[in-house]
Amino acid sequence: MSTEINASAPRVTTPSGDWYPEAIDLAAVKAAHIPLYTQRTEITSDGNQAAAVAGLQMWRCLIYAGFPITPSTKWAEFSAATVNGQKGTKKRVKLMEAEHAVADYMAAASAACRDLVFTTATSSVGLDHMYETIKSMGASGLGNAMLINVYRCSANYPLCIEGDPSDTLGQRDCGWIQISCRGKQQIYDTVLQMPCIGMHHDVLTPSMPGFYGIKDSHRNARLVCEPDAAIHEFQDRWIKPCPLPGLINGDTAMGNCVTSRWFQGFKVSQKRRFEKVLDVLPQVGSDFERTFGRPGVSYFELAGWPESGGADLAVVSMGPDFGTFEELREEYAKKHGLKVAGMCIRLLSPFPREAVREQLRHARAVLVVNQAHHHTRGHLTLDVADALCNLSSPPPVISTFCGMGGADVSEATWEAMLDSGRRALEGHTPPPYQIFHEGAVL
Amino acid sequence: MKPLDLRKILQESVLEIRGDGKAGGGLVLAFQSLASLALTDPNLHVQEWPFFSSARRGANIRSYIRMSARPVRVACEVTHPSLVLLMDEGAARTADFAMGVPPGGTFVLNSTYSPEVCAKHYRLSGRVVTISGDAIGLKHLKAQIGNVSAYVAMAHAICGFKPETVIDTFLYALKKRRIPETVLQRNREALEASLTEVKEGVFEYAKPGDHALPTFAGYGNLPVGAQTALRLSQDNLTAYYARSGLRLHFADPEDKCNGCGHCITNCPEGIIQWEPHPERGLKVTGSDVTDYCKLCAECISVCPENLFSEVPFVETWQEAEVSS
Repeated sequence: MSTEINASAPRVTTPSGDWYPEAIDLAAVKAAHIPLYTQRTEITSDGNQAAAVAGLQMWRCLIYAGFPITPSTKWAEFSAATVNGQKGTKKRVKLMEAEHAVADYMAAASAACRDLVFTTATSSVGLDHMYETIKSMGASGLGNAMLINVYRCSANYPLCIEGDPSDTLGQRDCGWIQISCRGKQQIYDTVLQMPCIGMHHDVLTPSMPGFYGIKDSHRNARLVCEPDAAIHEFQDRWIKPCPLPGLINGDTAMGNCVTSRWFQGFKVSQKRRFEKVLDVLPQVGSDFERTFGRPGVSYFELAGWPESGGADLAVVSMGPDFGTFEELREEYAKKHGLKVAGMCIRLLSPFPREAVREQLRHARAVLVVNQAHHHTRGHLTLDVADALCNLSSPPPVISTFCGMGGADVSEATWEAMLDSGRRALEGHTPPPYQIFHEGAVL
Repeated sequence: MKPLDLRKILQESVLEIRGDGKAGGGLVLAFQSLASLALTDPNLHVQEWPFFSSARRGANIRSYIRMSARPVRVACEVTHPSLVLLMDEGAARTADFAMGVPPGGTFVLNSTYSPEVCAKHYRLSGRVVTISGDAIGLKHLKAQIGNVSAYVAMAHAICGFKPETVIDTFLYALKKRRIPETVLQRNREALEASLTEVKEGVFEYAKPGDHALPTFAGYGNLPVGAQTALRLSQDNLTAYYARSGLRLHFADPEDKCNGCGHCITNCPEGIIQWEPHPERGLKVTGSDVTDYCKLCAECISVCPENLFSEVPFVETWQEAEVSS
């Protein structure tokens, strides 16, 4: 890196502080990138590897900081092995002494080099250890920081349980863009798109793509990798140098916020930038689909919606277990003479409440499937209920839990949950929430 | 009874595969390689994933594969596999590897016993494929590890893969793990030997109710920290975590134990046996390896007189009887 730093770079004074736009020779950084793939290539990959490959293909991503924690360890292992095998590469993998140090390092590096992308992967207690710093980063305007969260529940420290998204949903107010992925291809594609959203000049907010531990992190399947050059062309269309957001530098940078009035301004700015994600994300997703021919990032995925939009029973869920629902949906609908449709939420934060409301508006009942620990009806349930609350006659929302602690969500469990929704359609009033496992109500 | 045609299942619906083994025994590599082998066919879709947590070496683990000519969307665990693998007979002490397999399914076992003896012992109905993987591993890899042979036996059971593709795919998986060339060569020899060592037969030894899926009946009133039905192990004997084929051995024929007590204080399971000694304070007399020794080897490393060791141990089938 030292060869690319221009010590005599001109200083530009902005209302947010000083800016050295030419301090790092980005053209030299880009020229130093050694491509992983020069043409579209199919490989066998698990989720961790898919996320790592995407990061390694970005010319802006030079440093991969990390600390090993199951189930995200393989992300760091794969990154290290690949970087080690690339003779002459400028990329570096930096293992730190603990997760909080990784977060601190990410914050400092992201602030120092705002045109580059800094990424790590962590899970459960690792994310907990990063909490203080990532809260600060959420408000910092450092959209070039990307934290790959491999979902895992801290049941009772140090006991952690894979495949439970309690970690990510417990952190959904940390100010990062949280998007959930399922399947190798979606993980890879999403990691490629997130810097385009986070570093967009209207957004400038760090991003947290995530996927289920073990259920996706360790599941192997075919992965299509795009050539590095095409990825660079796509990302360069979206990522441009831009000034810092207001109120970030000087007296307010990462600490002294002087007065409550200034502080409020800081938070208002953060909130407005955050809401811009809802505008920018679909644009990036559409461009990705045009470029690579696969679906880009979106608020949610849909399955089995009638053209009229009016499903009898609409299922809202997230993660890989939605695939099991997709597989049995048609047969279940046919068996019971119902229109059953599904919505797999991807954008967890900011929650796309307007779009969710429009999609669910004509459903007769909405069944929400939660998998993370929550003190009442579930994070997704509350978000969905909030989205529907402005309707004159909102559909009833049935709240269910399953797969807690990473437990398997079997076909029998899905059928039992769907039966619960069906009973609500028949006029039964459901309890505030129910927990399901292996087809039984617990 | 006609065995199920695995290739036909693969083409017409979804071929589901499950494997039981122990952490550190190579089950995951065998399944990853089988998935990669299937993915050499551009028309196939494959999902492969292990089921384990932060499992220490020796703990029971499972792996799953789904293969199909159409995209695989189902994400839940495999409960009715048409093909199962028992990678380590020690794993069968605590898990029924044949659970949920439909009649006519295929059972692959890494075992020195013949297909018929295995079918009779585990009460299997269907096609039984065996391979003496540990012996092949010991001969070619200098280690009692049967994953190379188990992978070959599974590929043989599915049919339709060219032998050279079977070999190259496994070696490619090893290359990705940066295995040295000399070890790759030994693995090639083990793979080639395995191709000719597979034995099989069709048998009908299962009785009604054998290998039935348990019915989940809720957790009841769980005390704090309770073990639940989600565990693979039906009990909590830590001896099941020991690596198969080895057992802790204590011998002090020359009465060299100096009474330092390091083995006693370092043993996490409290299995070291001792008696008071007038001069040394205490004298170690042995270790109770029946239920709790997980071969962590703490005693081996701390004993100044090297009185503890690991010795070969043959699995006894009396401990592996299947309950109906």
